Amino acid sequence: MIFLAFRQLVSRKRQTLLTLAGIILGTIAFIVISGIMLGFREFFIDQLVNNDAQVHITSKETIIDTPALSTFFFPKIEHVFWNTPPSTRKDHARIIYPAGWYKRLDNDPRIAAYSPQLKTQIILTHYGKAISGQLIGVVPSRQQHVTTIRNYVHGGKFTDIGAGSNRIILGQELLEKLGAHVTERIWISNGRSAPIPFKIVGSFQTGVSALDANTVFGSLSDAQHLNQTPGYVNEIAVRLKHIDQAKQVSEDWQKFGDEKVQSWDQANASFFNIFKIQDAIRYMMITCILMVAGFGIYNILNMVVTQKRKEIAILRSIGFEAKDIIFLFFIQGVVLGILGGLIGVLVGYGLCLYLSQVPFGGGPLGKGTGTLTVSFQPAIYIRAFTLSFIASIIASVLPARAAGYMTPIDIIRSES
Amino acid sequence: MSILLENVNKFFNTPPTQVLTDITCDIKLGEFVSLVGRSGSGKSTLLYIMSSLDTATSGSIKIAGDEISTFSQKKLHQFRNEHMGFVFQFHYLLPELTAEENILMPARKKGLHHKKRDYAHHLLEEFQIKHKFDRLPKQLSGGEQQRVSIARALIMEPSYLFTDEPTGNLDSANGEIVMTIFKKLNLEKKTTIVMVTHDPDFANIATRQIYLSDGKIT
Ligand SMILES: Nc1ncnc2c1ncn2[C@@H]1O[C@H](COP(=O)(O)OP(=O)(O)O)[C@@H](O)[C@H]1O
Ligand SMILES: [Mg+2]
Repeated sequence: MIFLAFRQLVSRKRQTLLTLAGIILGTIAFIVISGIMLGFREFFIDQLVNNDAQVHITSKETIIDTPALSTFFFPKIEHVFWNTPPSTRKDHARIIYPAGWYKRLDNDPRIAAYSPQLKTQIILTHYGKAISGQLIGVVPSRQQHVTTIRNYVHGGKFTDIGAGSNRIILGQELLEKLGAHVTERIWISNGRSAPIPFKIVGSFQTGVSALDANTVFGSLSDAQHLNQTPGYVNEIAVRLKHIDQAKQVSEDWQKFGDEKVQSWDQANASFFNIFKIQDAIRYMMITCILMVAGFGIYNILNMVVTQKRKEIAILRSIGFEAKDIIFLFFIQGVVLGILGGLIGVLVGYGLCLYLSQVPFGGGPLGKGTGTLTVSFQPAIYIRAFTLSFIASIIASVLPARAAGYMTPIDIIRSES
Repeated sequence: MSILLENVNKFFNTPPTQVLTDITCDIKLGEFVSLVGRSGSGKSTLLYIMSSLDTATSGSIKIAGDEISTFSQKKLHQFRNEHMGFVFQFHYLLPELTAEENILMPARKKGLHHKKRDYAHHLLEEFQIKHKFDRLPKQLSGGEQQRVSIARALIMEPSYLFTDEPTGNLDSANGEIVMTIFKKLNLEKKTTIVMVTHDPDFANIATRQIYLSDGKIT
């Protein structure tokens, strides 16, 4: 029967090729769309995971509101009426007892590295141009082990910020906005104090606009000095040995102290919602494409079964059973599915290879090489093949069964 | 190994018609029987019932003593494959296959298509179409197509050959050729042949004629 199935497939070349084209297109579409979407996602997650710490321990911004003040100042009075209801927050958010955290972090086997930071809002001034930004005071040797920042530094080394006092590295975009250059001196103030001069020892470009346009790295002690808060730390950035432990770790630590502990995926929860929507759209699109391809197979096989009624009758009369007839048509769908799926996978792979080499103009999508990131996860290919194969099988089962139900006598009678 | 029909009735529901009424007949081994009668008298229906392609509404059909209705589908198809050959008015050749491959289809069911090749060529030679063995059906004339379909019916060397108007689509010269083949087959191989025809000359070639009129044997 396989022999006959192949003969029939070959003898109706046009239909076979058209059906194949449908399956191939469906498979390619799945692979390319998935490749680009997941490639973007991999790139994006890579950025999230590596450019930033995997777990952040941050001091809470404590809001001091009216009831809190009322009970603090007038503990005995039940109803306190204020002329102007007060509301404020503590002047400096900070981790109250960082040494406790350091000890905990040093003893936790899941931790690869951690880096205490002081993050503070600043105003950068360069020849009358003033731009606000964020200064992250770090211990460079520690910070280097927590994020991949040093890979993105131009004009110097990341550790240069610790090589002397008042040295900084700026995001490339920020540097351009200021019109400043590496080795120049700019003035930084925290808004409350007189500006202090800092020397630019390098710039960095991570591709994440939010970082590149806004962030300044300096040494922790310089930042504490600028902020007039010696010894203060308001964040500890942590890198784990295994990224999948991030959530667990953050849940464990949540129990300690006043600090807010957030893993990278919690911090970026909204992105994961976008990914979910992307996945839904991707699968919907693929389902549509495969349904069209599946309908193609179904239609053609149905037509073939109708055309081949006479031959079904004669096959039955020479001793081929219903199951042989079902097999005859089913195998054609399966062959189309496998062939279309395989070709689709190959062409899809080729197309993805090509796409991954197409220059893709910088921007947040551009990698260091400036090309599109395409995912080559084997799962994409397995899934694409499986989906097109399943679609072909479903589409072939019905016509094949219909053919099996035909009895020779009905066909022969209707012919004469 | 005779075919025995007893009180066979065939009733169609749409539209309600009694096509065969109380048919009792016996087709002995080695006989060449022709079924004759006017168009619509039920010849084809009778042929298909006695050859297991169709089922009777009531009555019994025994082949070599076994009641056909008790056969499983598998056994029925196997029996057809080994013991029965069919030739219809139309050749019903598979258009994708060459003459030789078409002839060998019944053998292929049992994986005998290599063994039976020589016999297929022998049949082709006997039917004077040996040199056309690798042609597709559409590259053959009507007479040649019918001869290929006869060869296909004979490849398993069946005990019975059932044929419904085998010459219905052929000119008289080709009709003669087909009839000569049947006669020779019956004489030399002792194949039991049941043939439906409304050509009186061809009917006369048979050793016995069964007349049907309005679904009854007369
Ligand atoms: N499937 C069917 N349903 C209803 N009537 C049928 C069917 N097949 C055949 N008939 C009727 O049965 C009668 C006998 O048909 P058939 O055996 O083909 O006659 P013949 O072969 O002698 O011309 C005809 O009247 C035909 O209309
Ligand atoms: Mg008839």
